[in-house]
Amino acid sequence: MRARRERRWPYGVAAALLLLVLIVAGLSAPEFVSSPTALSGQAVGPFASPPFGTDERGIPLYEYALQGARIVAFPAAVAGAVVMMLATLAGLVRCGNLPWLDTGLQAAGEIVGALPRMVVVLVVALLLGYDQKGLLPIAVVWALLAAPAAMDEAAASAGRLGGTRFVEALRAHGFSAFRTYFIHVVWKNLRPVIVRQGAEVMMQVVFLEIALSYLALQRSTQSFTHTENLYSWATLLYQGYSWMLFVFQPIVKVAAGESEWAVWADAVWVNMTTSELDGPGVQSVLVGFVLVASVAATAQLARAAARAR
Amino acid sequence: MKWWMRPLVRLIAAILLPLVVPALITGALWALPGDPASIICPPETCDGTEALAERFNLHRGPVFFYMQWLLAAMSLDFGRSWTLMAGTPVYEEMVSAVPMTGALVVLALVPLLTGTVTAALGWLPRFLDGIWQFFGLIPAVILALFAAAYVEISFGVTFGDWRPTAWRLVLGALVLALADGTLAGAIVGTRSVFEEEVKQRYIQVAILRGESTLSNAIPNVLPGLIGQMRGRLLTVLSGAVVVEVILKIPGLGGLLWDGTLSQDYGIVLAAAFAFSAFSGALMFVQAIAEIAIALYVRRSPAGVGEST
Repeated sequence: MRARRERRWPYGVAAALLLLVLIVAGLSAPEFVSSPTALSGQAVGPFASPPFGTDERGIPLYEYALQGARIVAFPAAVAGAVVMMLATLAGLVRCGNLPWLDTGLQAAGEIVGALPRMVVVLVVALLLGYDQKGLLPIAVVWALLAAPAAMDEAAASAGRLGGTRFVEALRAHGFSAFRTYFIHVVWKNLRPVIVRQGAEVMMQVVFLEIALSYLALQRSTQSFTHTENLYSWATLLYQGYSWMLFVFQPIVKVAAGESEWAVWADAVWVNMTTSELDGPGVQSVLVGFVLVASVAATAQLARAAARAR
Repeated sequence: MKWWMRPLVRLIAAILLPLVVPALITGALWALPGDPASIICPPETCDGTEALAERFNLHRGPVFFYMQWLLAAMSLDFGRSWTLMAGTPVYEEMVSAVPMTGALVVLALVPLLTGTVTAALGWLPRFLDGIWQFFGLIPAVILALFAAAYVEISFGVTFGDWRPTAWRLVLGALVLALADGTLAGAIVGTRSVFEEEVKQRYIQVAILRGESTLSNAIPNVLPGLIGQMRGRLLTVLSGAVVVEVILKIPGLGGLLWDGTLSQDYGIVLAAAFAFSAFSGALMFVQAIAEIAIALYVRRSPAGVGEST
């Protein structure tokens, strides 16, 4: 038993560290990014401008990363907390002697869970006023839409314990209500479900923000998720998309006569090592991928740390 | 909870969903500060706000607007676009958008159903699970931008060529199936459901009697599988908005996005109604299937109960 418990704590520590990095990055984000300096439209690689290089306007990419963290950190945490609370409630209701509430929660969950989430999110975004732009209301709505699945799973887990009979047995042993419900039911048995669902919703909210901001960039319009002075991580991905189109211009392929992989490899090497390049750089998309991967890793590590013995 | 309660709730929700969603949007529209007609014709820049309000049924409150809109929607008249394509009948946009989204969803169903069936039959090796789960962690926006870059690089700006559109649909469907854990969930979820069911004693007895495992297990796992598939289709529908915009597929999701950006409530109401109608239809199918399976499972075999 002690060996199993020790194997899980590294995942928890790693997840907590990544989450802390996200929060600290958000808190240290600048109010405005640096003014554009590269009037000729030349990006700079990370070796010339550490740590991540700049985009074609001369703005350091780490400022985009910090501002993106600021946009997503708090709303994602709130969304995760909402789902975890509702899942805990559903599990406790299944164990408590409240069949009418259990049935009501299931019925409400069926109806809410039937709504296509992106449609509801877009309608909410439509209703937000110009001065109310932000990720938090969208994140909370997303969490409420994702909650039925989490509540179903938590209630099913509580049901497999034995529901009210499990509680009665523990109470017969002399355990207090707090110890019975919150230690034995929630902490020892529902924790894997609650933490996993909360971590997944946090990850989904971050990805939702990136998607909404990317779509807004594609339409050259302001995103619903943040104010005009902030830049989302989607900006890095959009710069990366521009880079991919730039590198694979037909004239480049035809003139070079090389294979596609050779063109890619050469472009990446030139990007990373030269001080000035024409157009966007590969570092934007790489930084964007690393940020997305770190969010996914955080969710998976939290899931691994909270898994049942 | 009685076995029929959940299907009954689903049936009621399926019928009410396409009615409630437009009602909520209408209520929210009137809850916003200002006159809804000013969205179409801001008084500071345009005359005739009152006339336009009457033309768009905005002059007599939310209940009147909603009832008029609903009655017209029953005959597929979704009114006119408010701002995006001002004055254009929304039906014309829907007629071209719905088949594209439908094609996208149907194509996305191919890998999902294939994965579900092959997992149920045990044909998919477990070592491939890591691949599906890896792709499932990648958000749809990233996979979609790679797909869009491929199409742009391969075909550039071409006219009269069916291949870019076909590639967009195929790649878009692949993105929807792979991203957000949809395919991974279909494969791993189906396999785990069947593995748990096979452990049941009745299955082991059936095997001893020489019967097929699948034919005995399917009636019991089918309600759960149908529910899972419905959830996955909802995820696919949700992701269709992102995929259509990035891949420039002129579907319902792209229409909804453009309508949202332009504050075109005419477009948003129609698109949201279409999405909720489809969700309602999925829920209806699930409820009917659950009822049919429950009645089948509860039927008495022939000869039981007859006096001898």
